[in-house]
Amino acid sequence: MTEAIPGAHKQKELQRPANGKPMVVVNQLVKQFGKLRAVDNLTMNIYAGETFGLIGPNGSGKTTLIRMLVGLILPTSGAIYIMNERMPSHKVAAQMGYMTQLSALYLDLTAMENMQFFCNVYGLRGKEQKQRIIEMLERVDLADRANDVVGKFSGGMRQRLSLACALVHHPSIALLDEPTVGVDPELRRAFWDYFAQLNKEGVTIIVSTHHLDEASRCARLGLMRNGVLLAQDSPQEVLRKSGQGNMEEAFLFYASCQEVQK
Amino acid sequence: MNFARITALAGRIIRQLFRDRRTLVLIFIVPVVIMTLLYLVLTNTSSVRTLAIIPPSGSDRINILITDLLPGKDKLNVIYINANQVNDTLKNGNVDAAVIFPPDFAQEVFTGQNPSVQVVLEGSDPNVANAMHDLIVSFTHQLGVALSALKAQQAQAGQGQALPPVLGGPLPFTVSDPQYLHGGVQYTFNDSIAPVFIAIFSFFFVFLLTSIAFLRERSQGTIERVMASPMTRSELVIGYILGFLLFALVQSLMILLFVIYALRVHYSGNLSLVFLVTVLLTIGSINLGILLSAFAQNEFQIVQFIPLVFTDLFVRRLLADRPATCHIATHLLHFASDIRK
Repeated sequence: MTEAIPGAHKQKELQRPANGKPMVVVNQLVKQFGKLRAVDNLTMNIYAGETFGLIGPNGSGKTTLIRMLVGLILPTSGAIYIMNERMPSHKVAAQMGYMTQLSALYLDLTAMENMQFFCNVYGLRGKEQKQRIIEMLERVDLADRANDVVGKFSGGMRQRLSLACALVHHPSIALLDEPTVGVDPELRRAFWDYFAQLNKEGVTIIVSTHHLDEASRCARLGLMRNGVLLAQDSPQEVLRKSGQGNMEEAFLFYASCQEVQK
Repeated sequence: MNFARITALAGRIIRQLFRDRRTLVLIFIVPVVIMTLLYLVLTNTSSVRTLAIIPPSGSDRINILITDLLPGKDKLNVIYINANQVNDTLKNGNVDAAVIFPPDFAQEVFTGQNPSVQVVLEGSDPNVANAMHDLIVSFTHQLGVALSALKAQQAQAGQGQALPPVLGGPLPFTVSDPQYLHGGVQYTFNDSIAPVFIAIFSFFFVFLLTSIAFLRERSQGTIERVMASPMTRSELVIGYILGFLLFALVQSLMILLFVIYALRVHYSGNLSLVFLVTVLLTIGSINLGILLSAFAQNEFQIVQFIPLVFTDLFVRRLLADRPATCHIATHLLHFASDIRK
């Protein structure tokens, strides 16, 4: 028996890459559902500490892409690397925050109990857990409703709690699937302000939306249509390259380019 | 395998169930109510049957013989009626069977005419009909033996002499009271059915609770959140098992205590084995619930699985008594319920 190299048996700790380094690398990703090609040969990089917006109409493959990034479904071909780990990986999962499109909460539990459950699952315990839950509930303006059953909450309140649950365990990367659906404009602005603050703290955010006016608040955009990534660039570059005045026109421009290519 | 995550999940399930008062009633009160009702129904059915006898006319001695040979009053009610009342009495449900002796029975026996004794059974309950038939066969057999002996005596004594006095005395040997390997005289149908219900309650309620809880997780999308977390599939299944096991164990303990101390059902052997079986059943039923919930889109479709689950239980019981070829089917059923999602 040879003696083991000291420390070799230890699992390598996942390090959050420095801002500006690739956090997520997606390489020639394909997802096929029967005859439908939901994601078609998609290659992109997402850098640490940025907010990457996935923009596209309903059914363009945003949710499928996010579900693959989270590791819920396996790609038909291609690969995803997050923090240099091939997905799906439980190690990366512990550092990810995921907010589903419909607020995934236990309706028969209180806001506090929902938060506690997700904290426990991600291994955040004790005093730290208590403080963090109070902090997050205050941030989404639900501190006074902490002990109310979620089933009585309005849609917007559930959306806020869902965001709080997704971010409660200090994730390095947050995947938010249409977080601002059904949220009023004031709160939407608060959400985006919070995302900007998280970016400053080094958190990478991948957010999907079909509100084109939210695009300008992202560092970079991925324009998706029919499972194809039409463009990935900063909002300013998207506008400049398409030569259009606003995001809606720009999107239509890229869409027509795709049709011409066919 | 991370125990903290498993406890978090089990704790959440327990908390959710405690929040749901109606389900708690379903788990803890309903079995007791059902057991009590069954107990009342099953113990109040009288086990003493009634037999109608249409006696042969004009032969007191044969009638005394018949009375002597019939079982005691605590085991059988006997009424004597006329031949024309037979149909009505049976139709009214007053008697379970009738034995019709021809009017000249004694005469025909001793002159060797081989008379025919008619037996009519009420017959709507095969168990009762069979019991009555057995009783009548054994009674008529004894009567036949006694009459043959009598006839032989008469032949010895010679023709024309008066018939010798009879009979009906004790048997020339005794049959001891039966010894029971299991159970005893005081055991009733309840005693044999109570264990079945302990098993059915824990299996069925846990199946219902798990499959619906899992279905809700899917339809509310929370399962996505949990699967996207570091929790593994096996942790998920074990967490579910632990969460529901607590309720299943408390439930079966309650049913057990209720059955033993309130309904006074007899038991022998080790009660902890009952618990072991309950634990295994519960684990099986949780897995079955998770498996079947994957095929259901809503609660209504889960309800449609209930007959399947029940048939599964009964078919397994039946197949256990069948020849070896059927055992393949048993194993398949076991296998089907052991598949984990």
